[in-house]
Amino acid sequence: MDAERACLSRRDALLAGARLVLLAPLAGLPMPLRAARAAHAPRSVARLGALRVGEPVWFDYPRPGLPAMLVRLGVTAGGGVGPQRDIVAFSARCTHLGGPLEGAFDAANQLLGPCPRHLTRFDLTRHGVVLSGHATQALPQIVLELDGDAILAVGVQGLVFGDGAAHG
Amino acid sequence: MADRPPVAPPRAEQIGTACDYCVVGCAYRVWRWPADGGAATPPPSEGTPRADEPPWANPAQHNIVAWQGRPHHVLVLPDPLARAVNPGGGHSMRGGTLAQKCHHPGNRTRERLTTPLLRVGGVLREVSWDDAIEVMARVSQHVLARHGEHAWGIKAYSYQYFENTYAIARLAFDAVGTPAFAPHDKCAATNDAAGLDDAGIEAFAPSYDDWGACEVLFCSGTDPFETKATLFTTQIMRGAEPGKTLIFATPHRSGGVAWGLKQGGLWLPVIPGTDSVLNQAIARVIVERGWQDQGFIDRWVARRWEVDQGLGRGTRDTPWQWRTTWGLFQSDWADYRAFLLAREELALAQAARITGVDAALIERAAELLARPRADGSRPKASFMLEKGNYWSNNYMNSASLAALGLVCGAGNRPGRVIGRGGGHQRGWAGAPGMPGWLSPEKYPGRRRKPLNLDRWLIDGRLRFAWVFGTTWIGAMAASAELERAIAALTVERPEQPRRADAAHAAEALIARADAGGMVLVDSDIYPVDPLGTRYADIVLPAATWGEADFTRCNGERRLRLYARFCDPPGQARPDWQAVQAFARRMGWGDRFAWRDASEVFEEAARHGRGGVYDYDELVRQARRDGLPGHEALRRLGPDGIQTPVRRTGERLIGTVRLHDPDQALPDADRWRTRLLQGFATHSGKAVLLKAPWDFPGWSEFYAAARPRTDQGELWITNGRIDEVWQSGFDDRRKPYTAARGVVQMLFIHPRDAAARGVSNGDLVRVSNDAVYVQTGMPLGVQAHEQHFDALLAAGHIRVTRGSFEAVAVLDDGMREGVAKAGFNHPGQHANAVCHAVPDPLTNNYRYKLGRGRVESLGPSAQAAGFDGPSLKPRGSV
Repeated sequence: MDAERACLSRRDALLAGARLVLLAPLAGLPMPLRAARAAHAPRSVARLGALRVGEPVWFDYPRPGLPAMLVRLGVTAGGGVGPQRDIVAFSARCTHLGGPLEGAFDAANQLLGPCPRHLTRFDLTRHGVVLSGHATQALPQIVLELDGDAILAVGVQGLVFGDGAAHG
Repeated sequence: MADRPPVAPPRAEQIGTACDYCVVGCAYRVWRWPADGGAATPPPSEGTPRADEPPWANPAQHNIVAWQGRPHHVLVLPDPLARAVNPGGGHSMRGGTLAQKCHHPGNRTRERLTTPLLRVGGVLREVSWDDAIEVMARVSQHVLARHGEHAWGIKAYSYQYFENTYAIARLAFDAVGTPAFAPHDKCAATNDAAGLDDAGIEAFAPSYDDWGACEVLFCSGTDPFETKATLFTTQIMRGAEPGKTLIFATPHRSGGVAWGLKQGGLWLPVIPGTDSVLNQAIARVIVERGWQDQGFIDRWVARRWEVDQGLGRGTRDTPWQWRTTWGLFQSDWADYRAFLLAREELALAQAARITGVDAALIERAAELLARPRADGSRPKASFMLEKGNYWSNNYMNSASLAALGLVCGAGNRPGRVIGRGGGHQRGWAGAPGMPGWLSPEKYPGRRRKPLNLDRWLIDGRLRFAWVFGTTWIGAMAASAELERAIAALTVERPEQPRRADAAHAAEALIARADAGGMVLVDSDIYPVDPLGTRYADIVLPAATWGEADFTRCNGERRLRLYARFCDPPGQARPDWQAVQAFARRMGWGDRFAWRDASEVFEEAARHGRGGVYDYDELVRQARRDGLPGHEALRRLGPDGIQTPVRRTGERLIGTVRLHDPDQALPDADRWRTRLLQGFATHSGKAVLLKAPWDFPGWSEFYAAARPRTDQGELWITNGRIDEVWQSGFDDRRKPYTAARGVVQMLFIHPRDAAARGVSNGDLVRVSNDAVYVQTGMPLGVQAHEQHFDALLAAGHIRVTRGSFEAVAVLDDGMREGVAKAGFNHPGQHANAVCHAVPDPLTNNYRYKLGRGRVESLGPSAQAAGFDGPSLKPRGSV
């Protein structure tokens, strides 16, 4: 188990529980599904000194066309980085049916949502868990690391809705 | 690369089905292929459509199941071929995780019951089906011979597929002939929204399109966003009228209410129990301003003599006959109008005080619902009710909602409908009717009242009970009282089997029944705590959705086949087969002779003829085509067909809505039924019913049941919490929903919380030290004898206690003075603080009217940390 996974083990456990289908004594077992963390080349997406509580920074991640949001919440959050461990980032594409969450940041409650399509809301303090609504995946959390004043996105925990062709 | 589910190969088998969960019944499609590299299963049956590609799937929509003993991948996804219900792939968190419902030994679905169990020396031991049935039959034969059919009862779901409910009903009502029967959500075999029924409105008359086509939607006691997600997102947010205005009457501003407000709608934060005043106060404003739909009323509201028509002379002996002709409630337009204008409680200021809804909001609601526009046209208004309305002041809340709708011209036209939103799907195929005349209970006069099974049990009259697929205890009012009685009659008795031997066990249980105890059998898919785990003598493993072919209708009477695609675990069987095995051993095999599920479906069709869920024409057509009924239904694809199913020439046609005289009836020469073209009364007209606030059958109870604010009590109401389906039996085991956590919650206003020292995330104890339980069987010669004060004076009200614990969620969307918990959380029963005193008009419990003190026990385990469910408010604006 590599070092990065070790420091995320709690989140891995939570999200792995949400999607890992363990295998069992059925005859002829296929290979286990892998856990949900995808690493990407580190990329600076914001600067620590420029962040203000409750004011999101929007960017595309992990690729162009996939909206994402970084924000300093003002309260400690799961997976949060920074001195108060309150800086988080998430995919901004609703995991229900891919609706756009841009502009749906609720600073008072630290939520993304309601999604304009079907009103799902995600709790950004708890790894993007669905607060209320229809999504069957937590909102994918973007793994952040600090490098001095730079905030780097280094990976995504979870599947961005529709990511990749439907058939591999 | 992240863990996307495996790709479905082009030749993967596709199986059509629909959701196991809420009333909406979204269409789903299963892609299935071998997981062990073996040969693919045979191609699908001819005539069934295939989708090109599955929609995008996440891991919660994938599983590996056993099919014919071999592991197979399955993807369970919204059906791309569906043109009804959820076109475009709509789904909720419930249906969206159906794949994870399937049995997989690697996760907590391994907890499925797989063998029959017999309690020996207090511990459940595995036994064979033959032995379990043998014990049940010997005990049943003795109980029936010695104690009579009244001592033998069934408590069963009313919705878990026609094949099962038909077999259960045939057993209970035909073979045994007992009146000791109650469905999952009521203490007796009654109608839920009796006031709606009495008005002549079928609960599921509307089509989903009607909810979509209205311009104003009044939701009484429900937020369909929480409980009927895809109906809300497809029709209520959109539909033919995407700009519609929403009016919600509920004490909780949840997600849908918040959205409605943003769209310019209204939230009427009604005090629990006062909906009849609210509904009639709105109607009064409408009438005062002359905004009623007079043309509709003149044509469709029954006159006084039309209400009486066809009943002949003599006393009115069925409940609806009695209620609709009782001067207290019976009305026609002139009388109803005069009633509205004369009642003190309906004057705006009084109504605002009683209901807690601002006078301005009451007036605004009236305006939105009924004020004609400049061009004289009327807003298209529709009216939906659910349990916040009728599990309260049961009869009068539902009657007054129906009346409000009728005054506004709703009830029988596209986009102008009145109906239930629904909870479960419609899966009751009730065979021969229940022998209601055998019930020992009665209303004043000569009217039979359905037997209250909870009270029958508590009073020690039930010697054998077979429970199908319900928790019973947590689902009924005064849960703690019911549980104590069950314990005392079963595990706390001295008569217990000491060996796992059928003859010995039967002898011991017969001795218990003869000594006044009860033998309990629990059929379910998972161990049910505590009914099955602690008290049942025999536990039977049931096969569920996906593991057998089943049928039922959704909330717009859409009939579909829920096809089998995986193996049931171990020895689990569909409940209809368990019933059949028992019936055969009892010597009734000739009446339970089905060879497969389709034969049950086909036989049940005969009993549904002329009713709302009539699919007899489908079965006849199938026979002419030489097909099993199930196969004919499979070939109709994901849209199925709406019942009543009719035929013109060779073509089967579905019925879009009931009561609508203008709907096209190409088969008018063959089909003539009042239900399709008129209201469900003998005159075909709807009945207006008054709901006087001071009716003592209500007002005495309300005065006694209200929170004692001097003791710091709040209303403790309850309801479904969106993502938790019923008791969470699946949600606790599906990896995705289990990882979120299933906890009992109490939504409470921040000011109510602060006054009690409760912080967000605290574990709280909610307790009511005066829970009223109606006891004995008051026969009621005079009407008032079944009202609360007389019951109390005559010693028919026991006062007991109840409590539960929950995680507090501070939510300014809760009405102050009212807190709300999950209605059926296992182990923490919200109903424990609810009084078990039925509405004397209907014999239905008033589940939403609990009360209690709320005290903090300090931070809960969910308060800290970043896992588990979110404790944020759900409907912030």
